[in-house]
Amino acid sequence: MNTQRRKVLQGIGAAGAALAAQPYLSFPAIAQNKPLKIGIIAPKAGIAGTIGECGLRGTMFAVDRINAAGGIAGRKVELIVEEETNPKDSIERLRKLVLQDKVDCVQGIVSSGVSLAMGAVAEEMKALTIFWDGTTQDGVNETMPNPRYVFRSTDNECEAVMASLLAIKHWKGKFATVAGINPDYSYGRNNFAAFQALLKKFGVEHKIVADQWPKVGTLDLTSHVAALKAAKPDLVFSSLLFADLPVFMKTAHGAGLMDGKTKFVFPAAGFQHTLLKKEFTPEGMIFGHNTLYFNLDNPTPLQKQFVQEYEAKYKDFPHWEADRAYFAMQIYRAGVEAAYKAKNAWPGQEDIISAMEGLKVDSLGGPGAMRKDHIADQTFYQGMTTHANRFDFATITDVTKMYSDQLQKPQGTDFWKWIETAQIKL
Amino acid sequence: MSAPRSRVALVSFVVATIAVLAVFPKFAEPYYVTLVLPAFAYAIALLGFNLLFGTAGLLSFGHALFVAIGAYAAAVLTSKLGVRSFEAIVAIAGIVSVIAAIPVAMLAVRYVRIFFGILTLAFGMLFHSFLFKFYNLTGGDTGIRVLRPTLLGQDWKELDKTAFLIGPFYYACLVLALVLGLAMWRIVHSPFGLHLAAIRENSRKAEYLGVRVRTFRLIAFLISAFYGAIGGAILAVNTGQADPELAYWTHSGELVFMTVLGGFANFFGPLVGAFAFIFLKSELMGATQYWRFFLGATLAVIVIAFPRGLMGLASDAWKKATRR
Amino acid sequence: MRAAVALVAFFDVLIGGVFHASVLFLVAAGLQLVFGVQRIVNLACGSFYALGAYFGITAVNWTAAHGAPGWSFLPVLIASGIVLGAIGPFIERLLRTVYRRDEAFQLLLTFALVLMFQDVLRFFWGANPQQLGNLSMSYGKVTLGEFSFPTYNVLVMAASLAIAVSLGLFLKRTRYGRILRATAENREMAEALGADVKKIYAGVFTLGTILGTVGGALVVPTAAASLDMPVELVVEAFAVVVIGGLGSMRGALAGALVVGLTRALAITFYAELEVLAIYVIVIAVLVARPAGLFGKPVE
Repeated sequence: MNTQRRKVLQGIGAAGAALAAQPYLSFPAIAQNKPLKIGIIAPKAGIAGTIGECGLRGTMFAVDRINAAGGIAGRKVELIVEEETNPKDSIERLRKLVLQDKVDCVQGIVSSGVSLAMGAVAEEMKALTIFWDGTTQDGVNETMPNPRYVFRSTDNECEAVMASLLAIKHWKGKFATVAGINPDYSYGRNNFAAFQALLKKFGVEHKIVADQWPKVGTLDLTSHVAALKAAKPDLVFSSLLFADLPVFMKTAHGAGLMDGKTKFVFPAAGFQHTLLKKEFTPEGMIFGHNTLYFNLDNPTPLQKQFVQEYEAKYKDFPHWEADRAYFAMQIYRAGVEAAYKAKNAWPGQEDIISAMEGLKVDSLGGPGAMRKDHIADQTFYQGMTTHANRFDFATITDVTKMYSDQLQKPQGTDFWKWIETAQIKL
Repeated sequence: MSAPRSRVALVSFVVATIAVLAVFPKFAEPYYVTLVLPAFAYAIALLGFNLLFGTAGLLSFGHALFVAIGAYAAAVLTSKLGVRSFEAIVAIAGIVSVIAAIPVAMLAVRYVRIFFGILTLAFGMLFHSFLFKFYNLTGGDTGIRVLRPTLLGQDWKELDKTAFLIGPFYYACLVLALVLGLAMWRIVHSPFGLHLAAIRENSRKAEYLGVRVRTFRLIAFLISAFYGAIGGAILAVNTGQADPELAYWTHSGELVFMTVLGGFANFFGPLVGAFAFIFLKSELMGATQYWRFFLGATLAVIVIAFPRGLMGLASDAWKKATRR
Repeated sequence: MRAAVALVAFFDVLIGGVFHASVLFLVAAGLQLVFGVQRIVNLACGSFYALGAYFGITAVNWTAAHGAPGWSFLPVLIASGIVLGAIGPFIERLLRTVYRRDEAFQLLLTFALVLMFQDVLRFFWGANPQQLGNLSMSYGKVTLGEFSFPTYNVLVMAASLAIAVSLGLFLKRTRYGRILRATAENREMAEALGADVKKIYAGVFTLGTILGTVGGALVVPTAAASLDMPVELVVEAFAVVVIGGLGSMRGALAGALVVGLTRALAITFYAELEVLAIYVIVIAVLVARPAGLFGKPVE
C-alpha cells in the first residue's frame, strides 16, 4: 500500500521552463538518514508474469542482504514496486515513480517494446534507470543512441550467439538441414537470424527446410511439429521461451521428433527449465541458461546461498531473471558507494552514473560489469541436457561458460556487422 | 424544472471545468498533470465512440483499432516521413483512419447489436496481428518511435519532454478537445444526430420513414474513426512509441468501460468517464497488485447498479437538489 | 516411397488441424450454447476454460499425491471440470441482473468477469505456467508406420466429437432440449406455455460453464495452463462462432474445423500467414454469408 500525500500547491511558474532546469532526481544534503527509494517495474501477470516474479525475488534477495549490512552507503533501501504491462501504461508508472514518489533509481523491465519506449522517456526525464532485460537490436539506435541515464542489460542475442557457437563446435559437419521454430516477435526473429548469420560466418553448409513462427505463447503446437517432422531437419533451432516451450517439448516428443535423429538447440530454455520434465526432454540437446545456471558443480558461495534460500522459500529453482535483477541492484549499490567514497559526501546522480561506468560487480551467476556505453557484461552458461540429477526435470552438463565480451557487439558497432567481421572464437 | 435554468447550470458547469483544466498544471503535481494527457486523448476518442454507442446504439468492441491507427500514423509521420507539425499529424491521422474505416464500416454496418460488437472485435484483432506480423513495416512487437511534434510551428526546444508535455502540449490538447467537443455537440444535435437516435430507437420505423439506415450508420462510423485516431495520436506523442498492444481487444474493452463509467446516455458522460477511469486505474495500480480484479468489480457494479454512470448519478443528484 | 511419405505428411497436417479444431470446439461450445439460448455473448468463455485447466492440474496433482493410480487422471480431469461448473449458477445470478437490459450491458458484465478472473487465476495459482508433465503420453501412441500421435490427443478429439453429438441430440431429441430451443426462439411464448425460464437459463449457463471448464481440463495434459489464456482464447473462439454461425452447435463444429484446418494448412505451406489466414476467412465468410455457415440471419 502506498501512502501518497498530495501537495496541492507547487509553484511551477512558466509552463515548464523552471522544470527544465530541475533534474527530477536530486539528492538534498540532508538525505543521509532517509531511505533510498528504488522503483521496480516488472510484469506480474500475463505471459511474462512468471519472469517478473523471478526477477523480483532476485531484487528482494539483494535488498535483504544490503539492508542487513546497513544499506547502501548507510541508507536503507526501500522498494516501490509497479507493474509492467504495455508501453503506454508502463510509462505512466515510470512517471509516477519519478515525479510522484521521487525515487532515486528505477530498475526492471522485461519486454523489449517497453524498454525502447521507456528508455527514451527515462533519458528525457533524466531518471537513472537500469533495465533487467529487453534489449533486442531493432530500434535501439533510434530511441537510445547514447544513453546517459539509462543502463541496459546484455544484448538479447547473446544467448543465440553462444548457442550457435556451441552448435557449430559440437555438431559442425553433422547436420545439413536446419529448421527453425521461433516465437513470432523481435526476440525470436533476431535469435534465428543471428544463428543463420553465424552458420554463414563459419562456413557451415546448411539448408533451411522449415521456418516456423508460432504466435508468442501458443499452446497448441501440433501442426507446427507436424510440419517440422515432415521437413526432416537434422537440426532444430528454437528460441521459444514462454509456456510454449514445454508444450513444444511435449508435442515434439509425442510426435517422435526426439527419437535421437534430430539435434536441438534451445538458447533460452532456462526460463522454463523446471517445466522441462525428463520424460519428454531427452539428453544431448543444447540448453541456454543465460546468466544464471542454478545447478553448477562449483557454485560461488553467493549463488549457493541464493539457490538454497530460493528453493526453501519458493519450492522452486531460480532462472536468470533473478540474476539480472540482482545485478542491477548491485551495480547501483556499487556505483553509489564508489561515488560516495570519492566525494566523501552523498553523491549526485551524475557522480553515480560516472561511477557505474566501467564498474565490476559479482552477480549471482558470476562476475559482471557495466560497460562505458551503458550495456552490461555478464557471464553466460550453456550446456548439454542430462538426466543425471536429483530433479524431475532436465539440467545441463558439459557446462560452457562464456563472458559476454565474446558474445555481444563492442561499443559503437552494429550487431550484424559485428557478426560478419569480428574474430569470434568457438 | 425550467429548461433555461438547467441550460445555465450546464454551461456554467462546462465553463468551470474548462477553467479548472486550464489552471490545473499550475497547481497540481506534475505526475497528475501527465495523467490528464491520456485523459484528453481518451475523451476525444470516446466522443467518437459514443456517437456510435450512445447516439446510434452500436456497440463497437474494436474501437481501439482506430486509436492504434492514429498512434501509428503519428509514429510514421514523425519518425519516418519527417512530418513534425502536430496540426498536420492530427489531421492526417484522422483522414487515414477514416479511409481505413471505410471497408470496415461497409461490412460492419450490415450487422447490429451483438454481431456488430463481435465483428468489430475481429477487425481490431486483425489489425493487431497485422502490426505484429509485418514487423519490417510496423516494427512488430516493439512498434515505432513517435518523435516530439512541433506546436504552431515552434519546437519548444528549451523544454525537456515532460515540461513540453505538461506545458504547451497540454494546452494544445485542451484546445483540440474543446474544438472537437464542440463539433461533436453540433453533430449530435444536428438532424443527422437525431436521425441516428431514431435509428437506435427503432431502425425499422426509421427505415419506413425514409431514413437511409445503413448510410447514416456508416457516416457515424467514419466520424468515430476520425475521433479515435486523433485520440490515438495524442496518446502516441505522450508515450513516445506506438505499439501493437494499443489495438488489443481488451483496450477496446477499456474504451467501453470508460464510456459506461461516465454515462453513455449523456454527452459529457464519456469525457467524465475518461478522466475518472484514468485516475481510478492509476490509483488502483499503485494500491494493489490485484488492480484488475477491482477494476473489473467496479465495472460490474456500474453495469448492475449504476448503468447510467457517473453523469447519471450526477443528474439524479442535481434533480434531487433542485426539486423544491 | 515418396507417395507414402507425402501421405504420412498429409495425414500429420490433417490430424494436427483436427486436433486444434477439437480444442477450439471445446472453448467455443459453451459460448455457442449460452448464446443460442440466452443471447448472451460470454467474453469470459476463455476464462472458464483457463479455470478448468488450472483446477484440473491441481485436482490431478492432489489425487496423485493421495495415492490415486496413474490411469485415473482422465476421470479426475473430467470430474474436476464438472465440479468447477458449480460456479455457473452464481455467475448466472450475476448476469441475471442485466437480462432485461440492452445486450451491451451483458457483454460488458462478461468483460468485467474477464478482468476479475485474470487476478483470481493469478491469486490462486501464481504467475508460473502450470502443466501436467507427460501425463498425455500415459495412454501411449497411435502409430501407423512413420506416423505417430499420442493416444490421449485422439481421446480429446473423440471427446470433442462426442460432446458435439450429444449436445446436438440433447437439443433436438430430448424434451428439455426442445424446451431450450423454444425458449431461444421466443422467450415470452415459452414462458407463457409454462416453461420456467429462470431455471432454464440457470441450467443452460451452468452447462455452458461446464463445457468450458471440462474442455480446459481435458486439453491441459497436452498443453499447459498460462495466465494469458483468458484473453488470447477469446479471439479464436470468436472466429469459430462467427464462421460457423452464432448459436448453432453444428456451426461451432464447422467453424472449429475451418479454423483448425486453415491454421494447419497455413503452418505447413506458408507459416507466416498462420494467424492472418483465420481473419481472412472470417471476413470472407461474413461477406459471402453474413450469418455464418449455419447461423440464422439476424437484423
